[in-house]
Amino acid sequence: MRYPQLVVLDPDGWIARQLAELAGESRWLVRGPRTCADALALAREPRATVLLVRVEPAEDKTDPFALVGDAHRLCPDVPVVAVSDVKLPDADRAAWSAVLLDLGARFVLFPPLAKAVMEDVVSGLMAAAVRRVVGGEPPPAPGPRTPPAPDDVIDLADEGLHG
Amino acid sequence: MPEPSPLPPRKGRPKGSASFAWRAFFQQTRTPVFVLGKGRRLRFANAAWEQLAGAKLADVLGMVCSARRHSSPLAAALAPTPEALTGRPDRARRPAPPNRTGPPWWDLFFAPLAGDDGPFGVVGFVTVVGEAVPAAARKIPPGVMAVRDRHAGDFTFALLAGESAAAGRFAAQARLAAQTAVPVWLVGEPGAGKETAARVIHHAGARRERMFVGLDCGGLQPYLIESLLWGHGGLAGSDRVGTVYLKDPAALPRDLQQQLVDLFTDDRPTTPRLICGSTRPAGDGVAAGTLLPEFHTALSVLELRVPPLRDRLADLPRLAAHFLDRHGPGATIEPAAVEVLKAQPWAGNLRELADVLAEAAAAARGPVKRDHLPWAVRVRAGLEKPAPPPSLKLGPTLEAVERRLIQLALRKADNHQTEAAQLLGIFRARLWRRLEALGIPAEKSQVVKSKTEDRQAQGNSGLET
Repeated sequence: MRYPQLVVLDPDGWIARQLAELAGESRWLVRGPRTCADALALAREPRATVLLVRVEPAEDKTDPFALVGDAHRLCPDVPVVAVSDVKLPDADRAAWSAVLLDLGARFVLFPPLAKAVMEDVVSGLMAAAVRRVVGGEPPPAPGPRTPPAPDDVIDLADEGLHG
Repeated sequence: MPEPSPLPPRKGRPKGSASFAWRAFFQQTRTPVFVLGKGRRLRFANAAWEQLAGAKLADVLGMVCSARRHSSPLAAALAPTPEALTGRPDRARRPAPPNRTGPPWWDLFFAPLAGDDGPFGVVGFVTVVGEAVPAAARKIPPGVMAVRDRHAGDFTFALLAGESAAAGRFAAQARLAAQTAVPVWLVGEPGAGKETAARVIHHAGARRERMFVGLDCGGLQPYLIESLLWGHGGLAGSDRVGTVYLKDPAALPRDLQQQLVDLFTDDRPTTPRLICGSTRPAGDGVAAGTLLPEFHTALSVLELRVPPLRDRLADLPRLAAHFLDRHGPGATIEPAAVEVLKAQPWAGNLRELADVLAEAAAAARGPVKRDHLPWAVRVRAGLEKPAPPPSLKLGPTLEAVERRLIQLALRKADNHQTEAAQLLGIFRARLWRRLEALGIPAEKSQVVKSKTEDRQAQGNSGLET
């Protein structure tokens, strides 16, 4: 199976920094596309993927919302997590959460954005995505060690000895 | 001990009372009033307060009113200020519960009741400031709603209908489900399209203007689902949600299942509709002890079976066209390729079909022919021979491992052969021999290169002088 990937569309990279430790321990690729189109293209790759999108609850920024909808339509098995750092009253927050979930997001995060909660959301959804890709039980949780650099891995498939 | 002063004349005292009935007195006012006793426990609140707070005194009597993190919004709103607790009257503005933000606000005036050893209680008065923003006014911007409506428009009965008998039967059942508001239980194999069916039912139903909320009970930890529904800005009390889809609710702990049962069996008009999706009928989950009986008795009024792909092979051309449409308008499939697809077992159902077609479309970049289908699909259809078993010859395997190890050691030692030989635990002469035998080109290390360059430079400068 190819490495699972975390696609994070976040202009300032804050979300990716919060999840870097978890991604390193779990051996996930972290991709930080600049545009919605790039994020969608990465999400459509045939591998276990979780897509995190920073959304701004405002009228003039509909692109992230369209991305959530497009990702759900084109790659429905890719869980999308919408993250906003805008503090809203409870009722408004419920309204925006409902819209994002209707568009296909699997979870919506509003402030306070705790690292532990983000990790729980992403790890749970990634485990489910991996289960869907391998079609069975999830692989055992990786131990707390740093992932090996690709150069340290000797894969005999590269030698053409194994089909 | 001084004698208590005689009772005042009748004025201000309810008729027929021997002593001053302060409770009845406070009940007469329209000003919301509450009394906190020692330990900030709620001891009294008048009818105006009950009406304002939307709570019965009997239900909240004794509640500790503090602004701690886990306090309810009501308890936090009534919490006396530190100033009031020290015995000085004080004012505070708090969000009107159950909201945690205003408007509207509660302006509270705390009047402490001083005793010999500090205040023994607080009388509070509430004034409402600002008006709640009605739900209709909290509109989602039209641009976002247009995105939402466009997305909702993709989920029509055309996704469910088909030429096969199984698809036709299921589409008819789904139409019936859309005409009602009763809870639905969708049973189907993984990848059969349960959530898509749930969305179609929602968007064809009377609640289509409200939102569809899908929750992956197996993929999210229970506390996350709880917070999404009942936390700050939770969706359980929102009038925005029309349908909640629970994917595999048997994965939830029983206490959360009970909360969900309480939510969805409530008769309020804003209660969302429940649709559950699972690989097993609700009755099986109850029998296995993973599901509360209410899910079987009350929350699976309609049980629909989503047919697996192998039972609707007649729909394959239409389904293939639908999935290929995701890859651009030019992506079509030739009939011969469809025949190959029909020969597959489709254990992964529509999800597997979508993956196969995605791979084929990427290979074809145009009409999908038989040869563009993935190799495993062609093997299963008998078009290709299965791959030979992996080689078990020891010589080439060991040679490959040796080559990679030597390359790795050289890379780590920056092509310094003596260091590489040390890393490999062999003599340098042996490394040379193996480099030659395996045909690995010997590159100079950066250190050696720079030393050589220095020497050359020194030599050149010596010649100049």
